[in-house]
This record gives sequence, structure tokens and C-alpha cells, in this order.
Amino acid sequence: MRALSGLLGARAPTPRLLLLLQCLLATARPGSADDSAPDSPFTSPPVREEMLEKYSNFSLENHNISLTEHSSMPVEKNITLERASNIKLTCQFTTSGDLNAVNVTWKKDDELLENNYLVNATGSTLYTQYRFTIMNSKQMGSYSCFFQEEKEQKGTFNFKVPELHGKNKPLISYVGDSTVLTCKCQNCVPLNWTWYHSNGSVQVPVGVQMNKYVINETYANETKLKIKQLLEEDGGSYWCRALFQLGESEGHIELVVLSYLVPLKPFFAIVAEVVLLVAIILLCEKYTQKNKKHSDDSNGIENNVPRLRKNVSYFRVIFQIKGTIQYT
Amino acid sequence: MAKVNRTRSTSPPDGGWGWMIVAGCFLVTICTRAVTRCISIFFVEFQTYFTQDYAQTAWIHSIVDCVTMLCAPLGSVVSNHLSCQVGIMLGGLLASTGFILGSFATSLKHLYLTLGVLTGLGFALCYSPAIAMVGKYFNRRKALAYGIAMSGSGIGTFILAPVVQLLIEQFSWRGALLILGGFVLNLCVCGALMRPITLKEDHATPEQNYVCRTQKEDLKRVSPYSSLTKEWAQTCLCCCLQQEYRFLLMSDFVVLAISVLFMAYGCSPLFVYLVPYALSVGVSHQQAAFLMSILGVIDIIGNITFGWLTNRRCLKNYHYICYLFAVGMDGFCYLCLPMLQSLPLLVPFSCTFGYFDGAYVTLIPVVTAEIVGTTSLSSALGVVYFLHAVPYLVSPPIAGGTSPQWPANCES
Repeated sequence: MRALSGLLGARAPTPRLLLLLQCLLATARPGSADDSAPDSPFTSPPVREEMLEKYSNFSLENHNISLTEHSSMPVEKNITLERASNIKLTCQFTTSGDLNAVNVTWKKDDELLENNYLVNATGSTLYTQYRFTIMNSKQMGSYSCFFQEEKEQKGTFNFKVPELHGKNKPLISYVGDSTVLTCKCQNCVPLNWTWYHSNGSVQVPVGVQMNKYVINETYANETKLKIKQLLEEDGGSYWCRALFQLGESEGHIELVVLSYLVPLKPFFAIVAEVVLLVAIILLCEKYTQKNKKHSDDSNGIENNVPRLRKNVSYFRVIFQIKGTIQYT
Repeated sequence: MAKVNRTRSTSPPDGGWGWMIVAGCFLVTICTRAVTRCISIFFVEFQTYFTQDYAQTAWIHSIVDCVTMLCAPLGSVVSNHLSCQVGIMLGGLLASTGFILGSFATSLKHLYLTLGVLTGLGFALCYSPAIAMVGKYFNRRKALAYGIAMSGSGIGTFILAPVVQLLIEQFSWRGALLILGGFVLNLCVCGALMRPITLKEDHATPEQNYVCRTQKEDLKRVSPYSSLTKEWAQTCLCCCLQQEYRFLLMSDFVVLAISVLFMAYGCSPLFVYLVPYALSVGVSHQQAAFLMSILGVIDIIGNITFGWLTNRRCLKNYHYICYLFAVGMDGFCYLCLPMLQSLPLLVPFSCTFGYFDGAYVTLIPVVTAEIVGTTSLSSALGVVYFLHAVPYLVSPPIAGGTSPQWPANCES
């Protein structure tokens, strides 16, 4: 009874029973090239199909690299992977020489991969395909296909988890103030976020002390760490770690905590300059006004003298005329 | 007594200390208009710190602009009744206080009050009196002097924008607001430069001010710059205001006011919507930003060169026609805009519109001075800038509402 329920239950099938099930399914299905992409020259062997059946709820990723005999630099392709997927890597090699003389190998990092890859030749192009499933972080890395003729041609597929872009410039804040550190992942959704603080070389996880730190995760692809009541020791490097199914990624933010005296120095310098300039300008104005007054007064005295003289001469003329009238 | 009047009242010097007044007004334009435009650089910081969206933070800029223009008549009244120097220094202190208090803000509402209302009020007390002062010191070279003085907003924006960005990176927005408050305190220096001048046409004795109460119909112009104005204002405030705002009844001024209203209504949406329009016809982001930069730089060139041009002998007596030409060219550019659907056509549009917009800004005080004369220039400018306020506030949202293909939210 328990064995039967174990067989029928989908949670924990034993490997042998699973293989039996797959064999039964394989015989029931007609062998065809339906699984392969329309333009692929390969027909899928039964074993491939069964493995795909097992992981059919994973997405399928297709990646191609083209090489020729004249490629001088190794060709690399960077692939960002966030969750477990079925992978199909195809390398094609075009040469004018004999295709049968070309030796094809696949390597993961520097480890040679046995079987599991297919080789096919069409016209003057050699195709090789490697299908596998990535389920954990150990399976991430670089997968390379090698074509050995006189010269070795190499194509590499680099699998990485999505990178977090930290800020290049440090975040400035003040003692007693609060600040918000943000980490965002562009087109990915991590399973988990954690924050670390390092002052020096040791990384310390940021605990959620109620008064000090508040972690806010409104959207799944970003995390915000709010730090209240900043102190000088709170400055330093902050790391936000995003956990994916296939590994971890880190982002870095630099926080600098300044005291209030820092911006006060340029401020007081400017205030001193303003006070000085205003004093100089107003003193200059008073000085010029005084000078003007002096010159006005002195001009006035000088102006009065000729007027007096004019008046005196005017009266002299009047008297003279009166005198002449009296005489006549 | 008559002797004192003869030596004190002069004709506009057209030079000498007048150039210091132009320098002061240039600095005032930098500290008010350019700093207002640079406040938008702080918005990203405010959005992150206060976790608010763009619309909430953009209110700060609207409040500053609106209060500066709406309270422009208040600035004229204060400088008329105290003195230009005291008015501008008071404005500088208020604006600086607004920035300093804003650097200690704990919520966006605090910023609305400090950075918005207080700073806007301070700027209003400085802006129109400084421009009026230039008009008093220049007669023949008025347009050139105004051209140089008004170019401060363009040149100031050009210089201050990267400086403000650097301050934010070094000191965060709080420190940057504090230092910007210190910079705005330089308005007090500008205020100290504004030496009062009594012009021949407005030398008035206290007896004449007394006469105003009984024979107000006979007097055409009364000087509000007399030192006894304070106690006179206390006894006859209403008479004083009637004299000061007499120009409101002049038909020429009414026509100018209506023209300014329509011009401000039409001009302001362009600066808000040029970039979204360019993006909608297929121009890339960098090229759209380049269009705005061209607009800004050509604006400065338009300020100075058009001022110099209208001071040439041939155009000296035709300021009205130059003003009409500038406004007409701006309108013509607008009419052509729907036909311009690619970058090579939008670049000449930016150049032309920017040049004549700068020309318009230079000619506004010149034309106002010609209509109302130098005595009432301060109050008249206050009214003219007040008329700018409401269209600046109202027309961008209306333009956004009536044209469905343009995005209403123009974050770019």
C-alpha cells in the first residue's frame, strides 16, 4: 500500500521506478523530431526526450555560436540565467576542408564532457549540439565547444546570474538624519534579499533592529533599507545580496555620514563675503555723498560771490541811471 | 532750497554708476530666475528621500514661480515706500532664510512653505525693483542695459546647473540647500549697489505732496522717493496709491497689459512641452535635450544682441515696432510648429523662437518705461510681472488637457 502510494504520488518517486515509467512512456510515443526546433538538423534520441519530459515545466533556452576556420578570436556569448532551465547549445563550424577530420569536443570550464552531445554534418558546415538542464549553482559556469582542425576553434557560452548594478557615487547623509539605500534588479525577480554592512573587511549582516533599520520590499525586484538616527560609525560599505535559484549576486553602495559642520564652513565663508561687500559698498556710498556735499557747499559759496558781485553791479547801474534821471 | 534741488536731481546718467546698477540687476536675475530653475535639480533627491512622486515635488517649483510673480506688485510698493536698497536687502534676507529653513525640512509640506512661499516672497521683493532701477539710470542706452541685465537668467542657469549638481553630490540636498541659501544672500550685495537717484522730472517738495491731497487732478507725476513719504503715506495712503497706480487707467498700458497676458499664456507651454513634442515626432532623448539647450543659449544671445540692436540710431525711436516684431515672430514660429516634424526642422525653430523670446524679455521693461515714464516704472513692472503669473501657472496644464496626443506628465 505504501509502495503503491509511493509509486503513484508525484512527490518522491524512486529513480528506478521513474526510469520504468519513462520507458513505458517512450514506447507509447512515436519517435519524431517534434521536440527539436524546426531549423535544427538533429533528431532527438529517446533518452533526450525522456529527460525533457521530466523537466518539462522548465523553460527552454536556445543559444547558437557560429565559427569558421578563419576565426582569429574565440567567440564568447554571455547568458543571464535566473531560474532552472533546459538548455540547448548549438555550435556550427564552417570549413572548406574535410569535415570528417575535425575533432569535436565539449568542455565545462576545463572539464571534458563525455557523450550527451550530438554531431551532424550538412554540406560544408559541421553542427554540434549539447543539451542539458541547469538546476543549481554548481551547473553554472562556462561551456565551450571545440573544433580541432589544424587550429583549434573555440566557442564559449558563459552562464551567469543577473548582476546588480550598484551606484558609482557614494551616498551622503548627516549625523542624526535618516537615509534610504536602494538595490534594484533590472529584469529579474530574486527569491530573497539580504543586507550586509562592512566597516573595514568584515561583513556583518544587518539585523532588523526596530528603531534603527527598516527593510521595505514593496516590489519584488527591489529592496530598500532605511537607516534612522545615523551615526558616524554607520558609514562605510553596504552590500545587498540577491539570492536566485542558481546562485547569488551582490550590489555595493557606499554611505558617507558627515557632521553638520561640514557644509557650514562654506556657508559662513559666503556670509562673511556678503557682509564685507555690503559694508564696503555702503561706506563708499557714504564717502561719495560726503564728498558731494562738501563740493556742493564749496560750489555754493563760490556761486554766491559772483551773484553778490552781480547784485552789487546791478544796483550800481540802477543808482547811476537814477542819478542821471535826477540830473535831467 | 532751490539750489539743493538743482544740484541733486539729474538726468539719467546713461553710464557711470549706471553700469554698477546693471551688474547688480544681472546678479539679481541670476539669484532669482536662475536659482528658481535650478530648484528642479533637487526633485530626484526629494523623491527618494520623502518617497513621493514627481507631481508632488514639482509643486515646489510652481509655488516659487507663482509667488515670485504674484507678489511682484508688493515688491514695487515696498521699494517705493522704504527704499530700493532696503527692499532688495530685505528680499535677499527672506529668500536666504527660506533656503536655510528648507535645509532642515522633515517633510514635503515644510518645503512648500519654506522653499516655496518664503523664498518666492523674497525673490518678489527683489526682482521688479532691481529692473525698475536700471530704467532710472539709463535713457538712451536703456535697451542695451536691459539686455545685459536680463541675460542673467540664461547665463545663470548655464553656470548654476552643474554647480548645484556638484553641491548635491558633495553635501547631499540638505548641505546644498544651505550653501545655496548663502549664495542667495548675495542679493543683499545687489541691494547695497542700488543707490537712489532723484531724476529731474520727479523732484517734488513736501508741499507738493500735501497739495496732492487737495489737487490730485492737476498733478501728473508724484515722486514716491521723497524721504517724507513715510509719514505722508500714513496720513494719505489711499491718495498715494491712487497716484502710484494712475497708469492703470492709461489706454496704452491697458493694451500692453492685455498683450502681455496673451503672450505669457502662449509662451509658457513651449518650455514645458518642447521635449515631449520632439519625442513624439521621433527625435531621440539626447537630441530633444539638445533642442532645449539651444533654446537656452540662443535666449541669452537674443537678450543682449536685441538690446544692442534696438539702441542703434535707426531703431532708437521704434521700440514699439521692435516689440511687435519680436512678439509677431514668436507667434509665427508657433504657427509653423505643427509642420515641423523632424530634427533638422526643429533646430531652426528652436533658434528663432529662443532669439525672439530673449528679445521679448529685454523689451518688456523698455516698452513699459516708455508708456508710464520712470517714476511709475517700478509699480508698472510689478503689475506686468503679476500678469505673467497666472498664465504661467494655468496654461501648461490647459495645453496638456487640450492636446490628447501629448503626455500630460512631462517627466523627461
